[in-house]
Amino acid sequence: MDVVLNHVDYLQVGVTSQKTTRLLPAIGRKANQKVAVADSDGVITCFGMKKGEAVPVFRTLPGQRISRLELGGAPGTPQEKIFVSSGSEVRGFTKKGKQFLSFEANLTENINAMHVSGADLFVCASYIYNHYCDCKDQDYYLSGDKINDIVCLPGDKVGRAVPILACQDRVLRVLQGSELLYGVEVPGPPSVLELNNKDGGTDGDEILYGTTDGRLGLVKITESAPVVKWEMDNEKKKGGILCIDTFDILGDGVKDILVGRDDGTVEIYALDASNELSLRFEHVLSESVTSIQGGCVGKENYDEVLTTTYTGWVSGLTTEPQQMEAGPGEELKMSKETQSKVAALRSELEQLQVKVLQGREKYQQSSQSSTAVSTVPAFSVNDKFTLCQDDASYSLALEVQTAIDNLLLQSDVPIDLLDVDKNSAVVSFSECDSEQPNGNFLLATYRCQANTTRLELKVRSIEGQYGTLQAYITPRLQPKTCQVRQYQIKPLSLHQRTHSIAQDRPMNTLRLVGQFSFAEVHSWVVFCLPEVPEKTPAAESVTFYFQNTFLGTQLEATYSKGEGNFKSDNISTISILKDVLSKEATKRKINLNISYDVNENSVSHTLMMIHPKLEYQLLLSKKVQLIDALKELQVHEGNADFLIPEYRSILDESARLLDEYKKQPAHLERLYGMITDLFIDKFKFKGQNVKTKVSALLEILDNYDLNSLIDFFNEA
Amino acid sequence: MLVPIFTLKLNHKINPRMVTVGKFDGVHPCLTAATQAGKVFIHNPHTRAQRNVAHRLSQSAQDSDITLLNINQAVSCLTAGTLGPNTTGDTLLVGSQTSLLAYDVHDNADIFYREVTDGANAIVLGKLGDIQYPLAIIGGNCALQGFDYEGNDQFWTVTGDNVRSLVLCDFTGDGKNELLVGSEDFDIRVFKEDELVTEMAENETVTSLCHMHGSRFGYALANGTVGVYDRTARYWRIKSKNHAMSIHAFDLNADGVVELITGWSNGKIDARSDRTGEVIFKDNFSSSIAGVVEGDYRMDGQIQLICTSVEGEVRGYLPASKEMKGNLMDSSVEQDLIRELSQRKQNLLLELRNYEENAKASPGVSEVDSQMGVIPANTQLQTALSVRAATESQRAHIELSISTPNETIIRAVLIFAEGIFEGESHVVHPSAQNLSGCIRVPIIPPKDIPVDLHIKAFVGGRTSAQFHVFEITRQLPRFSMYDLNVDPTATRPTGRVTFSINDRPQRVVMWLNQNFLLPEGMDSPDVTFTCLRAGGLLTISMQSSGEITFNTDDIDLAGDLVQSLASFLAIDDLQAEADFPAYFQELRVTLTEVDEFHSVHQKLTAAMADHSNHIRNMLVQAEDARLMGDIVNMKRRYIELYDLNRDLINEYKIRSNNHNALLVCLKSVNQAIQRAGRLRVGKPKNQVISACRDAIKNNNINALFKIMKAGTASS
Repeated sequence: MDVVLNHVDYLQVGVTSQKTTRLLPAIGRKANQKVAVADSDGVITCFGMKKGEAVPVFRTLPGQRISRLELGGAPGTPQEKIFVSSGSEVRGFTKKGKQFLSFEANLTENINAMHVSGADLFVCASYIYNHYCDCKDQDYYLSGDKINDIVCLPGDKVGRAVPILACQDRVLRVLQGSELLYGVEVPGPPSVLELNNKDGGTDGDEILYGTTDGRLGLVKITESAPVVKWEMDNEKKKGGILCIDTFDILGDGVKDILVGRDDGTVEIYALDASNELSLRFEHVLSESVTSIQGGCVGKENYDEVLTTTYTGWVSGLTTEPQQMEAGPGEELKMSKETQSKVAALRSELEQLQVKVLQGREKYQQSSQSSTAVSTVPAFSVNDKFTLCQDDASYSLALEVQTAIDNLLLQSDVPIDLLDVDKNSAVVSFSECDSEQPNGNFLLATYRCQANTTRLELKVRSIEGQYGTLQAYITPRLQPKTCQVRQYQIKPLSLHQRTHSIAQDRPMNTLRLVGQFSFAEVHSWVVFCLPEVPEKTPAAESVTFYFQNTFLGTQLEATYSKGEGNFKSDNISTISILKDVLSKEATKRKINLNISYDVNENSVSHTLMMIHPKLEYQLLLSKKVQLIDALKELQVHEGNADFLIPEYRSILDESARLLDEYKKQPAHLERLYGMITDLFIDKFKFKGQNVKTKVSALLEILDNYDLNSLIDFFNEA
Repeated sequence: MLVPIFTLKLNHKINPRMVTVGKFDGVHPCLTAATQAGKVFIHNPHTRAQRNVAHRLSQSAQDSDITLLNINQAVSCLTAGTLGPNTTGDTLLVGSQTSLLAYDVHDNADIFYREVTDGANAIVLGKLGDIQYPLAIIGGNCALQGFDYEGNDQFWTVTGDNVRSLVLCDFTGDGKNELLVGSEDFDIRVFKEDELVTEMAENETVTSLCHMHGSRFGYALANGTVGVYDRTARYWRIKSKNHAMSIHAFDLNADGVVELITGWSNGKIDARSDRTGEVIFKDNFSSSIAGVVEGDYRMDGQIQLICTSVEGEVRGYLPASKEMKGNLMDSSVEQDLIRELSQRKQNLLLELRNYEENAKASPGVSEVDSQMGVIPANTQLQTALSVRAATESQRAHIELSISTPNETIIRAVLIFAEGIFEGESHVVHPSAQNLSGCIRVPIIPPKDIPVDLHIKAFVGGRTSAQFHVFEITRQLPRFSMYDLNVDPTATRPTGRVTFSINDRPQRVVMWLNQNFLLPEGMDSPDVTFTCLRAGGLLTISMQSSGEITFNTDDIDLAGDLVQSLASFLAIDDLQAEADFPAYFQELRVTLTEVDEFHSVHQKLTAAMADHSNHIRNMLVQAEDARLMGDIVNMKRRYIELYDLNRDLINEYKIRSNNHNALLVCLKSVNQAIQRAGRLRVGKPKNQVISACRDAIKNNNINALFKIMKAGTASS
């Protein structure tokens, strides 16, 4: 990390959505650029910086939430027209703030992604893509899963405009007119697309993508097939990517990749000579970064990275060196500009204070009246509940526009709440009565420290046990209100969509036949499995592939009207599906004919799959147990030379072993739990109840050996 | 940004809270800390390669700057400082669960070694009150003991529970040091020599105490709270999800006032202003902090703050220079100020928007949108506290009932309170089918302490996604688990405590009304309660002469009542007569048990000495046989030796069981003295404690009970 960037705040607007800040092109070289930012109050603010002060160029009136802000203009001219989408409407403004376009797309859903290129306008609602040219309908496409973002290869380089949709089912869909050209499979659900180098690279066909699980990649979209140039994993488990830009901030003549994530991380990556991606700068803001842009805003000749966060803070990471600042009690030394800024803010605050007091009084008075009602507008909550592949647990991120006071978590299924290091809130578990009438399995409060606007939690679920997790969020805002958010813990909660599965594994099959519609069977699958689009697919029958993130076992679900086939190498998965599906069908009074085909080999196959994990964990816990004793011996004897090499290597690796052990708490217990489930489920299909033999199984697990375990499974 | 001026990796683990700096030769400061395997290491980077190895000291093979001191017992506390009047260097004091060792590192010699039956959980060295020489004061199981430089027991007193932290500071401002004691019963007690001056109730085990300046001191609790007291008034406190491992006072920003430096279990270290608790500096270690100390470690005349982690990482920080102007953090003040102001502005704007939107909402229309959680503006929550006796399905409890006056429902209730729930909060969340406008929360306070209940109730409609939060604070009086309904057939308590006051009965009635949870006010001081927690009755009666009698079998309760009443009536000294036949009988049994355990202990020790002689003989014989090539005999000897070893291990187990049982008994004896003391206030209290001590020293059990009953040694 050889670049030093200093953080400067510019201004605060309302809550912002993803990709709603753009830098207007500079007039002349290295001059200050203007910033256009749109927020969820519907206000577009365009401002420039003059002597450290934000000088507004224009501000629009409040309206509907703005979901995207893009720049456009006639080809060959500076791209300085501002386009915003809100609801199902697209509006255009000149750089002076004059509205020149208002276009109602007539979509049933709200626009959530947009791309503008010359006279072409591409908009996406949840599942629908529409292309307009000069506001006339051109092409239409219905996507199989939610569309998160859209980008278009520049027409001047590839000959025609090629729209690319980033879809939630881990596919980038490349379109040709109204038809799908091909899909690009990416490792995570893509959340953002951006042209490489802002123009798609030399051939104009390279795009950068970022995923909700924090991966980054570059794909070359050729005529016939995609070429993946590179992919970067998210090893440090940082947040999901919300925005990308390319800009030469390092000043080496090559454009660097700027990345903003939903955990507040801002990163700068550079490609080195061997085309390897290297992290050159990292800065952590306290809330999600919704937009990132490279340019020059604060001071002429100093490049910077401009970021906008969820709560609307527009700030820069500038190459301008920061002077030493004066300490408290020495305000005289503050620069004139800051002083006037502070004074202005203070007087503004005072006026507001008076207004708020009046408001408060009125509110108090209304409580005397018997007819008045008290209603407080909903505050916006930005939440994300995702399955982390690495440790097979869910992460819940909550973000509110103002500081959170406390959070109440309630669950009606048994789940484990894990500690997250970043989190400074004080957690307290309350006693709960899992029995009726209240049926709570988890009641926990988080009391937040001052100025916490973002909270991250980890939750571990058990497959087969399903229900709802509720979060009651109370911000520090008068009059005090709280909002409840619900998250479904699905029966097969640890499964994740994949693109394909291995066909050579021994599979168990579950077959459903009955008088049910396609929509009904689809709703059951949605109920059972995560990452399935809620909308019923357009086709006659559909196939989804899943992978168990914890064990690596797989599931294939194929279903159509009146028939469903589920194949998995894990018998427990089939057992859970059978239980849940028959329950759901009974609820709707549908007569289901369930048949299953159990493959005896699948059980030992699953055990073999668990084997390396289990063996590794057992060895790890054994080694960790030894560390303290060995260290003591080392201190006692003065050195470790007398130990056998195995023990010496444990000592040498102790830090890494401990780290690893700490990272995956209760891993062994979870594996034991799954083997026990496997055991019970295997015999459940044979109509035997083997719960009495579980203790014998646990005994075998304590003295683990693969063969004796397989034997036990076969004999019992 | 303040950066460390030196960092060391010591390659030795450091036990938490067992770190000190001592100038053992009078000149060079040495970092000294307890490590694994009953060892203490001394890091001395100043005088290399001129140390001799003998007695307890041995050179570490890994690091030439480190010398190891073998204690052969798990160290539980250590400190260093001037103990003797004519010593040049500091004395190292190491406490374990059974002993205290004073050691002269420079001369490599023991100064004294004392068996301490109550153990040493915490240690402090310094002058206490008017006692001439500095004392090494150790806190163990309910007892405090001070030793002078000759190892003479100069100071002894008892306290309410196991001691966890000690500090000496001039609490009363009389120029002499008082002893502050933090213990496992959540109290910080202040002793002026052996007189208890005052106690402050906290809500968790007090794990650390440190003197700031004047009468101000910092404290840390086991639940992650740290804070600062000035005398009995708490200045500030903060709570973290991590645990404070060590606290220390140090002037890091060089403004002339010390800050509270806290080392946390997650490896964080922060400096907080003593006035406000505002963080002025923070840094991170990769593992938990073990201890924070100070010393001139570079020998350049400047004192550094020295922080150590459990993995043996050491960092030293110099106080900030003038140029930094008190700004130790990596951020600019201007930026922060503007950000804070903007944040406030944003908050006010949001609040204003709330009021505006609220004013816009007209009654009829908004009811359609029940998602928003619209409630009538005149909704007010009613709360009531009442005592509920045990039923078949539920234990005795205090019922907090919260209800709305209209058709709105209470979605959930959060109660934040200290010391009465497992965590810091209790939640009631009815399932969707059982929603109503009234929620009853059973509360069972485990101790007789006054508690503030901070209630947050989520009020709205049945299908709301947003709720109004009502925040109410209710106080639970100290003696709330006492019910006025008395079973007439219940047996009268035999225990009682009687004392006289010079106050009107009305004042006692006032005390009753304030400290008990009574459905309606009382007008007479004569009253009988049922104790819901322990069962049994409590009778309070007052004669016209001002003589008050508490009848109860629970000596702790009697003590609490006396202390509470005395502080309410502002009585400084109170003598009382007491009799608790059941409890005294129990104590008598315990005392005979103590004697038995002692004699068993002696027997076992003798047996062990015997065995060790055997071992020596057998080993010689076995080795002889081996050298002679007599394998058969050698084998036999070694088998015998193996058997003997097994016997020894068994005996050891018996010994340690015996020892643990003895400790439990001794603790209860110490507690008995403490309880007898708590029946009195002020001087009589101290007299009872010291007289009891004398009686135990002289093994005069009858005198002990006489003192406990009458309150004085004579008569």
